[in-house]
Amino acid sequence: MTSILGELEIIEKNFAERLSGAASSDELQQVKVAFLGKKGSLTSFLKKLGSLPTEERPAAGEAINSLRDAMEQRLASKKTQIEEAESAEEERKNRLDVTLPPRSRMWGGIHPVAQLTQDVVEILAGLGFSVALGPEIEDDFHNFEALNIPASHPARDMQDTFYFPDGKLLRTHTSPVQVRSMLRFGAPIRIVCPGKVYRRDSDPTHSPMFHQLEGLLVEKDISVADMKGCLEALMEALFGRSLKARYRASYFPFTEPSLELDIECVECSGKNPSCRICKGTGWLEVAGLGMVHPTVLRYGGIDPQVYNGFAWGVGLDRLAMLKYKLTDLRVLFEGNVPYLLSGRAL
Amino acid sequence: MLISWNMLNDIISIPASLEEVAERLTLTGCEVESIEYPCRQLKDVRIALIEKLEKHPEKDLLFVAAVNDGIGTAVVVTAAPNLSAGDRVPYGRPGAVLADGSVLGTRSFGSVESQGMLLSAEELGVPEAADEFGILRLSPDAPVGEDAKKWLGLDDAVLDLSITPNRGDLLSLLGVAREVYALFPGTEWKNDPAQTPAPAEPKEWPSEFRGITLEDDGCRKYCLGLATGLVPGVSPLRVRIALSFLGMRPISNMVDATNLAMLTLGQPTHAFDAGRLAAPEITVRPAVQGETIRTLDGKSHSLQDTDLLITSGGNPIGIAGVMGGENSEILPETRSVYIESASFDAIRVSRTSRRLGINSEAAFRYARTVDSALAEIALNYIANLLKEWGSAQSAYVIRSASSERKDQVTVSITGKMLQKILLTGDLDEASQILQRLGLKEIAAEEGKRTFNVPSWRPDITIEEDLLEEVGRIRGYNETMEPRLPQVLYGRGDIGSVTRLKGDIRRTLLSRGYVELVNYSFLSPSFVKLLRLPENDRRARPLELANPLSGEQSVMRTILLPGLLRSAEQTSLAGWKSPVMVFELGRVFLPLEEGGHEEIERIAGLVYGGRDPRLPYGPQEADDLFSLKGDILALAGSRHVSLQFVQGEEPFGHGGQTAGIEKDGRKVGYLLRLKPSIERDLDCAPLYAFELDLEPFEKDVLPSFRESSQFPPVYRDISLFVPSESPMEDVVRHMREEAGELLRNVRLFDIYVGKGVPEGHRSLAFSLAYQRDDKTLTDSEVDGVHACVRKKLEALGYILR
Repeated sequence: MTSILGELEIIEKNFAERLSGAASSDELQQVKVAFLGKKGSLTSFLKKLGSLPTEERPAAGEAINSLRDAMEQRLASKKTQIEEAESAEEERKNRLDVTLPPRSRMWGGIHPVAQLTQDVVEILAGLGFSVALGPEIEDDFHNFEALNIPASHPARDMQDTFYFPDGKLLRTHTSPVQVRSMLRFGAPIRIVCPGKVYRRDSDPTHSPMFHQLEGLLVEKDISVADMKGCLEALMEALFGRSLKARYRASYFPFTEPSLELDIECVECSGKNPSCRICKGTGWLEVAGLGMVHPTVLRYGGIDPQVYNGFAWGVGLDRLAMLKYKLTDLRVLFEGNVPYLLSGRAL
Repeated sequence: MLISWNMLNDIISIPASLEEVAERLTLTGCEVESIEYPCRQLKDVRIALIEKLEKHPEKDLLFVAAVNDGIGTAVVVTAAPNLSAGDRVPYGRPGAVLADGSVLGTRSFGSVESQGMLLSAEELGVPEAADEFGILRLSPDAPVGEDAKKWLGLDDAVLDLSITPNRGDLLSLLGVAREVYALFPGTEWKNDPAQTPAPAEPKEWPSEFRGITLEDDGCRKYCLGLATGLVPGVSPLRVRIALSFLGMRPISNMVDATNLAMLTLGQPTHAFDAGRLAAPEITVRPAVQGETIRTLDGKSHSLQDTDLLITSGGNPIGIAGVMGGENSEILPETRSVYIESASFDAIRVSRTSRRLGINSEAAFRYARTVDSALAEIALNYIANLLKEWGSAQSAYVIRSASSERKDQVTVSITGKMLQKILLTGDLDEASQILQRLGLKEIAAEEGKRTFNVPSWRPDITIEEDLLEEVGRIRGYNETMEPRLPQVLYGRGDIGSVTRLKGDIRRTLLSRGYVELVNYSFLSPSFVKLLRLPENDRRARPLELANPLSGEQSVMRTILLPGLLRSAEQTSLAGWKSPVMVFELGRVFLPLEEGGHEEIERIAGLVYGGRDPRLPYGPQEADDLFSLKGDILALAGSRHVSLQFVQGEEPFGHGGQTAGIEKDGRKVGYLLRLKPSIERDLDCAPLYAFELDLEPFEKDVLPSFRESSQFPPVYRDISLFVPSESPMEDVVRHMREEAGELLRNVRLFDIYVGKGVPEGHRSLAFSLAYQRDDKTLTDSEVDGVHACVRKKLEALGYILR
């Protein structure tokens, strides 16, 4: 009996040596065959069991079986270990350089004025304003006459106009949409009209084409304070913080009273006397506004005795320049791809 | 409008500083664009008496002066040839600072040491005020030892005001003084130029003068002054300095007097040489169509019958309110002048000056309405100046003619409107404000006040105008808190076009495109670049009547040229990567029946770039089909389905141009540019698409369909298809034959080459068969599939 156990011990020792030496699935298979295969050392040992005395057989059998179970278990565990190592090796061989560029296309570049227009329109929708659009080629009536700017009125000098041979013109502001919308929808009305406008002017701060957004609210009992509230809500939402506002009296033929809105310089808040954006004044002119002139309401088919309201115009390009800290207006319309992509995060 | 702070303080006493006045003016509608101190740096210059003047002992061209500047005597060397002993001149001792900032010192000229300098007008900062070459000689009453800067008015500040077109009254010192008077209660009038008295000792007019005739109601009032015995010369130095600060070049005493009157009162005047009039009379009449006049600037103008003319003896001598005629211009030898001071119709003057392109100071003011009450006053003012300056011998009598209707404008303001617009019910405060502005309260009722509007405020005609006056003087900042309109309103609708543009923008941005905004105008050369034939309406763009340049002279009929220009220029600027751009914007197309239409479009352009190398192989490069994917993506974002058919465009590649259709209607194109255009632009390949937005405008909800519980069964078909037969035809035939069992057809291989008959390509499809109510058996599928194959064979396709 002792000799059997001794022999088993030797088998086990051999097995352990061979197992630890096995480095691949193939070698492991060889170990398995060598010990547990048909001609394996433990299998052949089992065959010798019959030659033992009857009383020793059960104990010997148990010892052999337990050794076989242990060997199988160790083989299985070794197998997992080897497979994992082999898989890891395989994965290592297939290593990718994750710093390579992406294969699909990158995010493009939105135009700053388009982005800003979307933002402004969304903010104002929240205040009840709906978008109204109008033609860019206008007639004298909608662009001037109905806005209380009769022919030869000196206010026409304020806006140098592009004309067509038939007397039509490129709208000089988005205000004609006011009249069109009043005639179409009547009062009460809350609309915003974003769009391109044109003036015969070209220098570093003027482009012959630029973007405006007109707002119009006509209801009952509207005061200058209501107008202030709407404009300040817009500016606060647009710039993401409360900005000091200053109102100056001004003149537009289609509003009475007329005002201009200055906001605190978004760059320096009035703290830098040599600020490039506000020229040291601390203020930025951002909107022309006023209570709609009764003549304009009448042209729009609205009774000024019953309804009143306010209108404003903002330069979207200028707001975009302020918000995104751009310096040159004209470069926005030059199709400059590297410039328009420069705002993209990489 | 430039305003002298010194002159303003000469006529009113202001209980506020310059900065406070500027701030208030800006807030109340008269924006102060700048405050300049023209001689800010000038310092320590005194009035000195030249006690002795001798030639320099060694240097021929120099003089040595002994001057007394009140502090003591100093020796100065000067080269000026215009001096003599006894002259009073500005003198700067060493340490004094000139207008340009240079500091004077002591300098040796030969054996003589010169202390500081005697100064010229230029060194004082007022070159235009010089009346002779050399050192600026002052009048004999100049007080020796005084600070020259102060005495000459060089310490002045000049405010540049931006005057809105409704406030013609502010185009003068008088108007600004009235405004400041209203803005600062406590301001007092010292010397109101509107109260200028008529000159003393009136003299008779020449008996032969026949009078003034007004034949056109474009002239409501015409006043004429007469100055005789003119003494040619310059105006006083202080006047010349003031004029130069105010942007007017001093010319002569006569011209300076009329300019000073205009700057002070706002009334343009014009002097005619009395001896050069064709007859001793003036008639104001409409021009005869085609009549011509040569104006002071030497230009000839052809007139229309709407123009208003000043004539004498039938001859035009001036275009009313615009410019005088050359034939009656005053000359150095002129000794007597008629001075015109009139009230002309704003619109008539404005039309004429615009049409003739004459932007004179007079026309600018008349177009903004000149207070007719000023006509005589301006003549009094000029007469007094000429007498005071000793520039004319005779006094002046005014002749005038007037057809003016004295329409007193009366406007009321109510407490109700004050409350509604400005949230204040204080009519007393409002009345005080209006009265300080020169309105006269003529009636006070419960909740209502009525005012007479002064002649200089023709802009005030309705209650809203009064509200504005009250509002701007009270100020809009501290007087009311901002609030949101009281009526509750639902969220506004940004509208389908805005939503659509947002969807397109997001889709194309995520597919790598850059958004452009190009000018709506183009150079007409785009027609040639795009090979547009004459009968294509895109070849007939709307032309601007007054473009800024030929490059921007027609309205775009197609978005493509703007995108091409971007690709071309980006590439020229050295950018080598691919260019992918898009634009959302309008095109302007002429209509057959006349007129035009504005159409919203989306266009995209992809250019492979100068350096097309890609890390992942050429299959990654963009081509017609990657753009097709982009178009389908943007259509998909709006739940719209599109069809692509073989198409043609004048600028499209002969074999690679697709028409894009929706419901059988053409809505755009997808193409590779014609290779010859690619060569013109030196950019290839160029792929482009352009679509009308209208088909995508309607907001459409996606419609979902429940999927089958039972698995699909797949079969492949591979066949040879003639090269010119569209793939979609094959798919359509399969679907027609298989009916609704065939759920999906997927093309998975295209092959041309060995084993494929000439003029054919091999297409391989995977077909998915499926039913909603049960699992299809192999035999059912085989049956249908066999029919499909048979059908295709019958149609002439060669199955493999």
